[in-house]
Amino acid sequence: MPKTLKENPNIVIIGSSAGGPRILKSLFTGMPFLNGCVLVVQHMPKFVNESLCGMLDGCTDMTVRLAEDGDKLERGHVYLAPSEIHLELEKNRAIRLLQGEKVNFVCPSVDVAMKSVKKTPGALLIGIVLTGMGKDGAEGIQYLKEIDGITMAQDKNTSVIFSMPREAAQTGAVDFICTPNEIREKLVELLGVMTPVNI
Amino acid sequence: MGHAVLVVDDDASVLNTVRRILEMHDIAVETVESGDGCIQKLKEGFKGVVLVDVVMPGMDGWDTIQAAVDGELTQHVIFIMLTGKEVPDAKMDYLKEYVLDYIIKPFDAKKLASVVKEYLTYLK
Repeated sequence: MPKTLKENPNIVIIGSSAGGPRILKSLFTGMPFLNGCVLVVQHMPKFVNESLCGMLDGCTDMTVRLAEDGDKLERGHVYLAPSEIHLELEKNRAIRLLQGEKVNFVCPSVDVAMKSVKKTPGALLIGIVLTGMGKDGAEGIQYLKEIDGITMAQDKNTSVIFSMPREAAQTGAVDFICTPNEIREKLVELLGVMTPVNI
Repeated sequence: MGHAVLVVDDDASVLNTVRRILEMHDIAVETVESGDGCIQKLKEGFKGVVLVDVVMPGMDGWDTIQAAVDGELTQHVIFIMLTGKEVPDAKMDYLKEYVLDYIIKPFDAKKLASVVKEYLTYLK
């Protein structure tokens, strides 16, 4: 039974598209148990969901699982958005999976997930846009910046397709443009590392 | 039937090169020279990674993937673009849920094999 968090958790939302699986692997390889909850929205066909989840789970000390409707957020957990349904956060504490039209030609959409985050005192809110085609994530990054979040986009050299990070950066709302390794280091620096007994 | 790689390119030299590289890594490879050929293979039940060129006479790479989507032929198929176009055109925006990766020609042989092997594990 998941524990109910006493404090507002730190939340990280990562959006990625084409090339994302290998960039996510690079980002999560060696990722320690972060003091926060990570949500990943990767554009992908449904039959890939479990495989990507298992691959990422093998890369990090954190627990990676496919998000389910009603999941209560737990620190040190990574929730991968399943295909063909939008993912939103409810009061920054629980996951809601909602049927809906495609946004930016995709479902789930990074923008939908990021724009569901609420400004909460005492919690870090971090948005990251990785490789991919199109502009999904750009509005979400802008929104997160407006609610005092911290925002990052992948750099051009390591992006398989720079379109999504570029669109995010062009909003003027991106704080850091980084390689996947630098993003991992920045997350450790910002959130800190826990051991499961600290929870 | 195990998972294999299907290479779709109108350039026979690319087909031969990719086949040689992947077979050196014990990956089973099939090749076709057109989008129509790709759709036919999918109808015959091909499952695996499909490496698709973008610029081809007749159906281009995007039209080929759209035809596969429309024909409900994308189950257990991972599409990766293998193209000389450094920047994808706007057609990709509509198909990004189906295209997991994008490799630009000329490519590094080891990297190509490594990326393809990784995606083949997703199909097991």
